[in-house]
Amino acid sequence: MSELVASLDVPSRSSRWIGACRDFIGRRPLGAIGAGVIVLMFVAALAAPLIAPYDPVAVDFAAMLAPPSAEHWLGTDAFGRDVLSRLIYGSQTALVVGFGASLLGATIGALIGVASAYFGGRIDLFLQRIMDVLLSFPLIILALALVAILGNSIPNLIIAIMVPMIPRCALVIRSSALSIREMPYVDAARAAGFGHSRIILRHMLPNVMASYLVMLTAFLGQAILLEASLSFLGLGVQEPLPAWGLMLRGAAVEFAETAPWMAIFPGVAISLAVFAFNLFGDSLRDALDPRLRTQ
Amino acid sequence: MYNRIRMLFMLATSMVMAAAWPALAQDKPRPGGELVFAVPSEPPSYDGHQEETFGLIHPVAPHYNTLLRVDPSDKTGTKPVGDLAESWTVSSDQKTYTFRLRRGVKFHDGADMSSRDVKASYDKILNPPAGVKSLRKAAYQAVEAIETPDAHTIVFRLKWPESSFLLNLSSPWNFIYKADTLAKDPRWYEKNINGTGPFTFVEHVKGSHWVGKKNASYWDKGKPYLDGYRAVFITSSSAQVAAVRGERAHIQFRGFTPADRDSLVKALDSKIAVQESPWDCVLMVAMHHEKKPFNDKRFRRALTLALDRYTASKNLSRIAIVRDVAGIQVPGTPWATPPEDLEKLAGYGKDIKAARAEARQLLKEAGVPEGYAFTFKNRGIPQPYEPLGIWLIDQWKQIGLNVKQEIVEASAYHPMLKRGDFEAAMDFQCGFIVEPDLDIARFLTNSDANYGKHQDKVIDELYVKQARATSPDERRKVLREFEKRLLDEEVHVLYTLQWHRIIPHSAKVKGWTITPSHYLNNQLDTVWLAQ
Amino acid sequence: MGAYLVKRFLLMFPTLLGVALVTFLLIRVIPGDVVELRYSGDRGAVSQEVIDQERARIGLDQPVWKQLGTWLIGMAKLDFGTSMWTGAPIWDEIRLRFALSLQVAIMATIVAVLLALPLGVLAALKQDTWIDYAVRIFSIAGLAVPSFWLGIMFILVLLIVFKWLPPMVYTPFWVDPWANMQQLIWPALAVGYRYSAVATRMTRSAMLEVLREDYIRTARAKGLWQSLLLRRHALKNAMLPVMTVVGVEFAFLIGGLVVTEQVFNLNGLGLLFVQAVSHRDYTLIQALVMLVAGIFIVMNFLLDVAFAWLDPRVRYA
Repeated sequence: MSELVASLDVPSRSSRWIGACRDFIGRRPLGAIGAGVIVLMFVAALAAPLIAPYDPVAVDFAAMLAPPSAEHWLGTDAFGRDVLSRLIYGSQTALVVGFGASLLGATIGALIGVASAYFGGRIDLFLQRIMDVLLSFPLIILALALVAILGNSIPNLIIAIMVPMIPRCALVIRSSALSIREMPYVDAARAAGFGHSRIILRHMLPNVMASYLVMLTAFLGQAILLEASLSFLGLGVQEPLPAWGLMLRGAAVEFAETAPWMAIFPGVAISLAVFAFNLFGDSLRDALDPRLRTQ
Repeated sequence: MYNRIRMLFMLATSMVMAAAWPALAQDKPRPGGELVFAVPSEPPSYDGHQEETFGLIHPVAPHYNTLLRVDPSDKTGTKPVGDLAESWTVSSDQKTYTFRLRRGVKFHDGADMSSRDVKASYDKILNPPAGVKSLRKAAYQAVEAIETPDAHTIVFRLKWPESSFLLNLSSPWNFIYKADTLAKDPRWYEKNINGTGPFTFVEHVKGSHWVGKKNASYWDKGKPYLDGYRAVFITSSSAQVAAVRGERAHIQFRGFTPADRDSLVKALDSKIAVQESPWDCVLMVAMHHEKKPFNDKRFRRALTLALDRYTASKNLSRIAIVRDVAGIQVPGTPWATPPEDLEKLAGYGKDIKAARAEARQLLKEAGVPEGYAFTFKNRGIPQPYEPLGIWLIDQWKQIGLNVKQEIVEASAYHPMLKRGDFEAAMDFQCGFIVEPDLDIARFLTNSDANYGKHQDKVIDELYVKQARATSPDERRKVLREFEKRLLDEEVHVLYTLQWHRIIPHSAKVKGWTITPSHYLNNQLDTVWLAQ
Repeated sequence: MGAYLVKRFLLMFPTLLGVALVTFLLIRVIPGDVVELRYSGDRGAVSQEVIDQERARIGLDQPVWKQLGTWLIGMAKLDFGTSMWTGAPIWDEIRLRFALSLQVAIMATIVAVLLALPLGVLAALKQDTWIDYAVRIFSIAGLAVPSFWLGIMFILVLLIVFKWLPPMVYTPFWVDPWANMQQLIWPALAVGYRYSAVATRMTRSAMLEVLREDYIRTARAKGLWQSLLLRRHALKNAMLPVMTVVGVEFAFLIGGLVVTEQVFNLNGLGLLFVQAVSHRDYTLIQALVMLVAGIFIVMNFLLDVAFAWLDPRVRYA
């Protein structure tokens, strides 16, 4: 398929892109909304120092627990820190952890899935057992144990969230790869004496790209959600760094009645972000693989 | 909104004043009723000699007596009174303590209690048989011999005078067990209950609750007032608050946060009474004396000078369980630092600008550049570790230090301290009796809890001197010297604020007085429920 | 069919063994052990001698392979031993919590199925209409809202609007159904919503697939009343993938509600697991993971059996 696209005479790259985007918006309004929110998140994360009204870590006892007002649009927390500024900076954490964990998880999963399908036999059986084992641990329990072992830091958090994703991706990719293995051109490549790694990288991987992208976008939302849960439990990102799940921990619950803005806004931010990634992911899946419509 | 919170805060404080006089004389105890209280953790075993969580004390203490206990109506928690001991005498050299035991005391199984049982219990604590642990054995190193001249007399002979000895015998952990049972199986008490206390054991449902019933043949006639009690194990603090708020539990004996107190007072109004006290717990900053620049006392001094403790006391006390600015002892107790002495210590002065200027000067002298970065390790527990951590980092930023916080999961925390795997870390101290010996022993050079690994012979000598002082004035003087050396001259550690214990409870609960320790005053014999 | 089932049955054991090994090794890598933690409470000044003594008593001084052997042999006899933290038999520690977690999982499943089936079918029938969009938004939102936050909001609203507070402790259903329901209905709803989102999406897509298949078209041509047809043919076939999702989620719920249990103060398996990890109670952690993973593995086996039963193609796949 990729060869086919490459051989077509395309007038200009940019106009093709614009056309594709317009097409996407027209056909999949939900996906477009999701994409819009994601773009906003990226803007917030990249331009945080420019748009955030306050320093997200500056303690200001004079403004403790202030309700939303003209100075603090979304109020302040128990240390007088501006909630809006913390939310804006928090999007950096969410995106780094979300993309980091899902890219790694989906990629490693895809490699294992393709290798498993390609080699078959004992290797397949063995890899599948390992995936089964990983799959048998509830997501949060595995992540919890990993954080306990590795300690608290953003790279470790990414690992802890990534590991449970590997088997989930490997399973799906393996089943798409199984059908490709039987394709004549794979046999041809093998007959031509190409090495395993070349066949896997050049012929099998590109053909599971659709499934891979679908898994990747599905993981993005989950990773953000998992990061929020772990931070809420105190096992994720650490104070005074701003992160959405962390903002819901401790004082936000204690003061939920008197200062509900502390508990409401970070939850809304998490939900909105995950919602957007899911909307976008769904539409992307429909577009890439009509056969898999919104499973 | 802001004003409403402030008003609540003031309201709560005024309630404290009102509640500071519990068990008023005109209140006549009313017998009957079941006291329901929430317990944030659950006892691992039932043997007080072998455990160190308040999760054991709260449900189990009502089943037992100790030789002495702290006066249940004394707010400072520092007055020893007899429990199984009726009276006692101390020899003039302060090395022989003779206790007369009460008569007619029976274990729950019907057996008579005698001096043999007291001796057997203390033998188990002082010299545990093989395979049995004793956690607080080190506190009784002064004891040379325990003798029982007759069935109702017990004598402790000491190697040297020890000013803390009576309070040490009031330890809430030292339950008196039955000698015959211990002789047969020294570990029997890990899984069973048989004491002489005001309540007998009914059941323990794991992960749920613990029930005790009035001991009808209790030696203290007329007590206990309650028909029984039910301790409900609730880990989540918001659920504990909900239990009190929904009037499903009367009280939780460990403590609530200021926010919880305010929401309870707001919701229940006159149906809630609040008792507050400085808490015999403190968070300190341990600084690793073998690592640069923490080996330089100018640097350590700058770290303590940077802290605006008085402003923090005002503000943090709204969001965290801390309040008083204090030295090495709980304010309001006999060995506490008088405010005029306190203000002389580095970092305790009222002029924060001058202090921070001095701090910056010291940093310069120590060769520490502006923006110097280090990692502060803190424990992953919301109260009061996390707010205090945020505060410390903010304070240090104001003298030009760029501190990163690393939260270590609560359980991995202690091993990290022990390994010395830190530059600066939050360290903690909580006492089960309010007594300098217990609180400051950790600063001895050879103490297992000397995490910062300082070596200071002077500290060691001052410790022994205060412990063996025979007059209170002498002891007070030495303690002040100790404090000055620890917190000002050498700055081996850095104290933050004293914890603050807040117990909002059902106004029906009477006859219980808050003390500075959540380990003390949990026998429940004096507690009763108003209609 | 017989051979397939036997093979499938036997495959459960290497997985279980793998889970056992991974768990056993993982938890021993976490810094700190049960003894150290037990005596590091508020003061943490217990002598090394006491610590060594206690380690020897509970067998932590033995070589790791020996500890592993003892445990595996015990497990083969279905004896999980005693908790290292409390010394009580594991089953005593787990029993009440298991009942609670199981009940929440069952209730959440009921909530999820009651929501998912009608919504999913409706969305499929009215594909690409506003109904379909509404259902999809509703279900995607279910996946997006963190259930612990939803729980916090539930509690807040119930408290402010209805002055309602959750009961303190878990009362088993057979003791007092009313008290039991009061406590568990809210977490079941909070979790059930997320769960229903997964199931709704699956129902919708399975229905779409089935509706496209030929024999349904034939049936429709024969003029069967549409809803009757849905129930009889379409639903039955669409049920297979939906059943898988429901079954798998159910198995996960039993041990995976860590954060929700925290928010609603439910003494379930998830919270027990967190406690066990923070106590480094190796034996309890091991037993819990084996229980939860075991349920998951057996559930998958049962689903495969059901599949093979209902859909003969699977057996030869």
